[in-house]
Amino acid sequence: MRGFRYLVVFLLPAFAVAGENPPAGKFTHAECVSCHASRDAQLIAAWRTSSHARTAPRADCVACHGATHVDSLASSRRDGACAGCHEKLNRAVAHSYATSKHATIVKLEEHEWDWSRPLARGNYRAPGCAYCHLHAGEHDTRLSVTTWRPFQPEEPSAREPVATRWQAICGECHAPRYVAEQAGVGERMVGIARMKLREARAVVARYREALSAEDRRGLDGLFNGMQSHGRNVRLGVGHQSPDYQWWHGQPALDGDLLRVKGAVAGHERRRLADRARSPAGGNVEPGQP
Amino acid sequence: MTHRRYLWVTLIAVLLAVPAGYAYVHWSKSGPGAGLYSRAWTPDPVHAYWDPDRFYESVRTLPGEFQGEECVACHQAVTPGIVNDWRASRHADPGPDRDPVYCSACHGANHQALRMPTPKVCGQCHENRVAEFLDERRYGFPSHALAMERAVDAKHFADKPKAEVASCLQCHSVATKCDSCHTRHRFSAAEARRPEACVTCHSGPPHPDDETYFASAHGRRYLAEAAQQDWSKPLVKGNYVTPTCAYCHMHGGHHQVADKTIWKFGLQEVNPNTSANALRRAAWVAVCSDCHEAKWSAVQLKGLDLERKRAWARLYRAEAVLKDLRAEDLLHPGAKQRPPYPMDMMERFFPHARIGYLDGQASAFYNVSPIERDYFEMWYFANLGAYKSAAHGDGVAVERWHSTLDRSLAAIETKAHALRVQGEAETKSLGRRADPRRLWLEGEYTEYNRERN
Repeated sequence: MRGFRYLVVFLLPAFAVAGENPPAGKFTHAECVSCHASRDAQLIAAWRTSSHARTAPRADCVACHGATHVDSLASSRRDGACAGCHEKLNRAVAHSYATSKHATIVKLEEHEWDWSRPLARGNYRAPGCAYCHLHAGEHDTRLSVTTWRPFQPEEPSAREPVATRWQAICGECHAPRYVAEQAGVGERMVGIARMKLREARAVVARYREALSAEDRRGLDGLFNGMQSHGRNVRLGVGHQSPDYQWWHGQPALDGDLLRVKGAVAGHERRRLADRARSPAGGNVEPGQP
Repeated sequence: MTHRRYLWVTLIAVLLAVPAGYAYVHWSKSGPGAGLYSRAWTPDPVHAYWDPDRFYESVRTLPGEFQGEECVACHQAVTPGIVNDWRASRHADPGPDRDPVYCSACHGANHQALRMPTPKVCGQCHENRVAEFLDERRYGFPSHALAMERAVDAKHFADKPKAEVASCLQCHSVATKCDSCHTRHRFSAAEARRPEACVTCHSGPPHPDDETYFASAHGRRYLAEAAQQDWSKPLVKGNYVTPTCAYCHMHGGHHQVADKTIWKFGLQEVNPNTSANALRRAAWVAVCSDCHEAKWSAVQLKGLDLERKRAWARLYRAEAVLKDLRAEDLLHPGAKQRPPYPMDMMERFFPHARIGYLDGQASAFYNVSPIERDYFEMWYFANLGAYKSAAHGDGVAVERWHSTLDRSLAAIETKAHALRVQGEAETKSLGRRADPRRLWLEGEYTEYNRERN
C-alpha cells in the first residue's frame, strides 16, 4: 500500500506532462526550439545534425510540422510533408519513390490510416518517406543514407551502421532473408552501375587531353549526364523502383558509355587518317600517342 | 527410281530433324537458369522471389506443421504488419458460411516446406480469374501471362550480369505472382482497379502509360474525382465517372489484357485492318460505348491508326539509312569490332549489326555504334511515347513526340552523312577502315559483362 503511494507520487509529474495540452496558437521555428530544446533535447540535437538543418533550404520545425500544434505530428508523418520540397529539389528522388509499390499503397490508403500512431512496426501497412527516413521519430536523417560518391568505394565504417539500420527497418515488415537478398542484389546492381561509370571515366582520362576544346566539352557533357543515370540506379534500388533501376538507370548508362566511346573513336579516326596522309604516317593503335 | 530416293532422304531427314529439334529445345531449357538460354546463366538469389515456382526454397527456421489460428497467433508477434493486412482482407472475413482462408491455405502447413503463392495457388479458389489470365497466352506477347517467359528469353537478359537484369524481374513477375497488382497480404480488388496499381511497371520511357493517361481527359478527371469514387464496385457501365487502366483493359474485371490489342506494343507496324483486328476494334468500341457514342469511338481508333502510319513512315526512313550504312560497312564500330550480339551461335561466324525489330534490335541497345543507339532510342522511346500518347488521348504529347521523331530522323541523316564522309576519307588515306576494336572490347564493365552471365 505504501509502495503504491510512493508510485503515485513518483508518477505525478509524468501524468502532469502527459495531461498537459500543447499550447494553442501559432509559433515560429525559434519559439518551437526554445520550448522543445528542454523537453525533447535529443530530438532537437538530432535535427541539428541532420541535413534538414545543415543544408539550405533549411527544413525547420514549422516546415514539416506546421505553425500550430493542431495535427502537427500526424501531418508531418505523411508523404505530403516531404514531397513539397523534395519534388522541387530533385524530381528523380521523389519520382523514384512515387512509382514504387510502397508509395502506391500509401497513396491509395493513407486516408484510412491513423497517422497519430508512431512510425513504428505494425502501425502502417506500407512505409511513407518518414517511416523509413525518420523512423520512430529519429530526426537525424543522415543515419539512413550514405553520400553517393560514384567513384569512391564506400567506407565500411560509414556503410555498415546505415545497412544495419535498414535491415531493421525493412525487417519490420519483410522476412530477414528477403531483406538480405534485396539488399544484396541492390548492392550488386549499384556496383555494376559504378563499373560502367569507371569504364567511361577511364576512356575520358585516356583520350580527353588529345581532343579539341569543342570535342572536350561534348565529352564532358556526356560524362556528367552519365553520373545522374548512375544515381538513378541507386535511387531505384533504395526506393524499389524498377523503372529507375532499369530505364532511367542501366540501359541509359549503356547508351552513355557507347556515346563516350563513340566521341573518342570519331576523334581517333580523324587523327589516324591525318597521320596516314602525313609523311610519318603509319599503323597506330587508337589511344597510342 | 531416283525420284523415290529423294523422297526417302527427305522423309528420313524430317523424321530425324523434328525430334532432334524438340530434344535441343528441351536440353537448352534444362540449365540452371530458365527459358531458352537457361544453360548460359545462373540466377541471382533474389530471382527466387520473382519466380517462386522455379527457384524458391523454403526457410527452415522452425520444424513442425501449423494451421489456421496457430500461424496467426505466432505471426501476430513476429510479423504484425502482414497479419494486420490479412485481418483487413476478405481472406480473413469471407462472409457468412465461409471459413477464413488462413496462411496455411496458401503457404502450406509444413514450416520446413513453405511456398510462395503463385497464380497456380491462387487459382485453387479464384479459378475463373486465373483461367482468364492464362488465356492471354493464346494472344502472345505483350501480355501479363507471358511476361516472365519473354523476359528470360530476351537475349540481353541472358547476356547481362544477373544482378543488373534483376530489375527486369520486378515487373515481369506479373506472370508468376498475383501480388503485382493485388499487394500482399490484403489482396484487394479495389486497389487493382485504380491506375496507381499499374504505374510501378507502366511508366518510364518505352511505356509512359502513367504520364499519358494522367494527362488525358480521362486521367485528369480521375485525379480530380478519385477520392469521391466507390472503388469496391465492379468495372462495368454506370459505376465510374471516368475510366481507369483496368476499366478499359480489364473491363468487367476480366483478367485478360491481351485479347483487344491491335497495335500490340507499338514496336512493329501491323496491318490494323485484318479481320482479327476488326474483331478487336469492335471489342474496343463496345468498351468505349459504355460512355461514348459508338461512331465517335470508332473515329478515335482510326485516329490512332493514322498516327501510327505517320510514325512508321519516319521509322522506316531511319531504318533504311542504317541498313545502307551497314551494307557499305560504314557503321563504326562495325559488327566485327565490338562484343558480339548476345546468345547467337551464328554471330561468331557472321557478325551482323542488328537493325529493326525482326533483326532483334530490341536486344541491341548496348555495345553498338552510337547511330544504332540513336535509332534504338527513336524507335523505343520517341515512337512508343507517341503511340502511348495517341492511345491514351494525350494530344499535346502526341505532337511533342512526333517532333522528336522528326528531329531524331534529321539527326540520324546528318550523322550518316558524316559517317560516309569520314569513311571515304579513311579509305582514301588508310586504304581501309580504322579499327576501333581495342576501345570497344576493353573496359571494366565490358569485360565483366563478357565473363558473367
